[in-house]
Amino acid sequence: MADGAPPDLRPPGAPRSRQAHLKDGLLLHAESAALYALDPGEAAALDALLGRDEAALARRLGALGLDLAPSPAAPDAAAPPPPRALALTVSQSCNMACGYCYASGGAFGGAARLMPEAVAIAAVDRLIADTAPGGAVQIAFMGGEPWLARDLIRATVAHARRRGGARAVKTGFAMTTNATLLRAEDAAFLAEQGFAVTVSLDGDRETNDRLRPMAGGAGSFDRVARRLAPLLAEAGRLTLSARVTVTPDNLDIPRTVAALADLGFASVGISPMLASPTGRGALAGDDFPRLLAAMTEAGEDWMAATLAGRPHAFANLATALGELHRGRPRSQSCGAVRDYLAVDAEGRYAACHRFVNDPLGQMGDLAAGPDPAARARFLAERQVEAQPDCAGCWARRLCGGGCHHEVLHAGRPGCDYVRGWLDYAIGAYGRLMAARPGWFGDG
Amino acid sequence: MTGTPDRKIRPLNLSARAAGPEMPAYPEPVLGNPAATLMDSGVGNCFPGLEFDLRQLDVRFFPGLVFSFPGVTPAGPDGTQGAQLVYADTTGDPVFAEDYPWVADLALALGGPAGDALSDGQWYLHAVEQKGRRIELYDISVWQNALLYTPYEGEIAWWIIRLIERDPDPALADLTIELTQRDAQGQPTGQPVTLRGKRRAYLDDEGMISGVYHPGELTASMCSPWTHDFRDCACQYWASNHPDVVLGEMDDPNDAGSLQAGQEPAPGDPLQPASFLDWMRRRTDPARDVQAQTTIDGARPFRYDPYEINLRWQELDFVLQGQEAKATPAGGTLPDRKPPETPQQVYDDLRLNLAPLEYILALRYLYATFSIRAPEEVTPQEERAWPGLAADLRAARQILLSVAISEMTHLRWVNQMLWSLSAALPGELPGYRPAVGPATDCVDPQHSLALERALPEVIAEFVALERPGGEIDREYEDLVTHLRGNPAYPAGLFQLAVRIDSDGLAHYHKFRDIARILAPYEAQSGLYLRTLTEAPPDAPGMPQALDLLDAAVADLREGYRAEAASAGSNAERSIAEARIIAARDRMHALWETGEALARDGLGIPFFARLPGRAHG
Repeated sequence: MADGAPPDLRPPGAPRSRQAHLKDGLLLHAESAALYALDPGEAAALDALLGRDEAALARRLGALGLDLAPSPAAPDAAAPPPPRALALTVSQSCNMACGYCYASGGAFGGAARLMPEAVAIAAVDRLIADTAPGGAVQIAFMGGEPWLARDLIRATVAHARRRGGARAVKTGFAMTTNATLLRAEDAAFLAEQGFAVTVSLDGDRETNDRLRPMAGGAGSFDRVARRLAPLLAEAGRLTLSARVTVTPDNLDIPRTVAALADLGFASVGISPMLASPTGRGALAGDDFPRLLAAMTEAGEDWMAATLAGRPHAFANLATALGELHRGRPRSQSCGAVRDYLAVDAEGRYAACHRFVNDPLGQMGDLAAGPDPAARARFLAERQVEAQPDCAGCWARRLCGGGCHHEVLHAGRPGCDYVRGWLDYAIGAYGRLMAARPGWFGDG
Repeated sequence: MTGTPDRKIRPLNLSARAAGPEMPAYPEPVLGNPAATLMDSGVGNCFPGLEFDLRQLDVRFFPGLVFSFPGVTPAGPDGTQGAQLVYADTTGDPVFAEDYPWVADLALALGGPAGDALSDGQWYLHAVEQKGRRIELYDISVWQNALLYTPYEGEIAWWIIRLIERDPDPALADLTIELTQRDAQGQPTGQPVTLRGKRRAYLDDEGMISGVYHPGELTASMCSPWTHDFRDCACQYWASNHPDVVLGEMDDPNDAGSLQAGQEPAPGDPLQPASFLDWMRRRTDPARDVQAQTTIDGARPFRYDPYEINLRWQELDFVLQGQEAKATPAGGTLPDRKPPETPQQVYDDLRLNLAPLEYILALRYLYATFSIRAPEEVTPQEERAWPGLAADLRAARQILLSVAISEMTHLRWVNQMLWSLSAALPGELPGYRPAVGPATDCVDPQHSLALERALPEVIAEFVALERPGGEIDREYEDLVTHLRGNPAYPAGLFQLAVRIDSDGLAHYHKFRDIARILAPYEAQSGLYLRTLTEAPPDAPGMPQALDLLDAAVADLREGYRAEAASAGSNAERSIAEARIIAARDRMHALWETGEALARDGLGIPFFARLPGRAHG
């Protein structure tokens, strides 16, 4: 600090310019999501301009062949194509009682009920009928706890296989489950049908039992571990991963990832809890720097293993690096509404599985099909280009504006965390690209 | 980014690598081939009905077999979807007339055990194999540790069949197909029948669709124009050939006689049967017989809505030769007409009646054209008071002139009919002599030689003259009737007569258009008419103009004579061309001259030099 400049107290990745971001000699061109390696002199020159003289920065970027011209216009949002994936909320009830659950105990704030078979069949028929032959659809069974609707799942899969087969449409299946009701024959069924199964678990035994009590209050970990054995035995025939919802009470992410990997999961994904219907369990304020530190620590574990050629279960960094490498500028944080809709037990479409029973995300019903006007409106209103909060952020095209459900119900409390995580991931991208470019699979 | 200066930056991720100007980055992937590259993007398949249903070609893709392609029923796949065998039969299939070993083998199989098997129960196409590639028409998945065969629906089966190639060597049988039966669950069962053959050629060597297809087969799967939505078939076009506009019905299609006799044929507008009506108009609408609107938006309120057609299609009229008809016209001839009965009468009619008529009409219409002011003569003050006047004048003159030119074309056709007749019946008829203008030996007394300005009543006279069922129409109707009843005449005669007759309908509408265009100026005819009077033939400029006309007529006569003789002589052919070009040049000069004189109020007395018309 010999020059008397104040120390930089901003969090890592704090927004300086809307045009670009610099990290360890890497340049992210914000609008195109393109990443470049810079020579040191150029990096220093850009760093000096970043956030201080936007006009000069624009000129300097222009000299490098990068301008702020908007990327090619996004496809006409007026007529979104038919969805390619559907979440069937087969069971709007749950045998667990997690305090933070977006479905409020599975029933989405309404009465507990199971989806009638006619609704599931009609939803599948419409999904497949709207898909061109040769295409593919994805059907996800969600809840509540989907295994409360065991017969419906089997009947729906059978119907989808036949209907899709007749139209030469590939059908893929997915499920998010707490695994507490899973039977051995269910695991065989999931394996036979090539399911992608995501098991919700929040940590090792102690943490999980504290955060994920059974509806009667007992712990769930041992029960899950017992139930998982047949599923893990089939791991080669299905895609199995664990989903950890992170709350202020289970921020030791490296330990959680390690514990679940020991249990047999090859992939563990972390979801920070930002918006909980009860208000309990959501991350806030001071929790975010701790979350970032924990994620970074888990990321470093993953990097060490990957650079050494060993597998590692921490999925978030692998996903982030894959997305950074593709570098597709996003207008939306996810495929909800555009590619993906949820259907509830009443046969109503929702923006995604989180929006079931939520007036903010109603997208028509099965009788008339997904409402194109509602979908177009939602996409237009929620796209990151329409978010004033995001206009100045360098990460806008990577993040896409955040989870629609969280933003609509809790705002954007975690942006510093998101930028911090992406800042870290860009650095990791540079390191992995230098050390093991083959990891990205395209030479 | 290959042009990045000094390599100060190096693209890393896929987005950066693709961002070069030569490789624009698209925010969305573009999947598959562009639609325009696909065969089934042809207009006929996008809008079934425009041509035929492409898929129907493939119901006979394999010689001797006929398939159908049922889809999935509304209740879901029931195991009957796919390529169903309708029947196996080699009779009438031209492939089996070909002399190749594979054809004989296939005929033997279909006439023997394979044919016997296929004649019993329901069979389905199970698999096709060509060039070592085999496709089963099933989605095969595992269900409860057993293989589940889900038959592809008809559309997918057709897609697969469509991919089968046809080897150009007709002797090469490179296609093997398997047929199976199915159990109640749609699972293939029993002993398959395997046949070796070749994909059928849909077109013969001339490019015609193979005769193996039965009439109606290629359109059998199309929606019915009577029960379906016309509008939604894009472009407002429905090519099951319904008319857009029709002529209204006359109470008695044969009642044209009373029209000619000056009687009102039916209550109401005597012109109504000659107005174009919208065929899809609401028959219950009080305004049902208004003229068809010229725009879709304008026509919509008067038409049945597409859904209504399902209920009301019986109300749509049959259309015969462009005219609505509730009944087949009764036979019989017009009471007071005498169609020619012999070739000599036809010849005389053409020579003494119709050829002079066309010549006279052309010049009467030309005179009327000269009487209308040129658009350049409109003063700024007039244009301010009458916006659009100049455009109306231009339109009226162009339309009128186009009819005059059309009559000249008819004159040429009449002459062509004459020389065809003379050539066809050399012993019976005199040799061809050109008939341009009234014959020197006979001034036709029955056609008016009045040269008049385009006053409203004159235009009305022209309208009446060209009206269907009117004077000119009936002149040709007689001729057409005779020619139709005597097919021994040269083939072109009938067509020429019909063409002239149907042109009359166009003339009729053009004159009605002119009347409509000029109607606003009716009270002040000076706005659109020149003060034109027919000048004496010796008035200044007139002898020159009449000389031009005479020269043009002489050129035409010699040109037609040469053309009639040109079948036997190249020299005559070049003479014909040269003289007709000369005639055209003289007519152009006559137009310039006539315009210059008309601006001074002088009308050319076109008929002054006709025999017996010496100007007094």
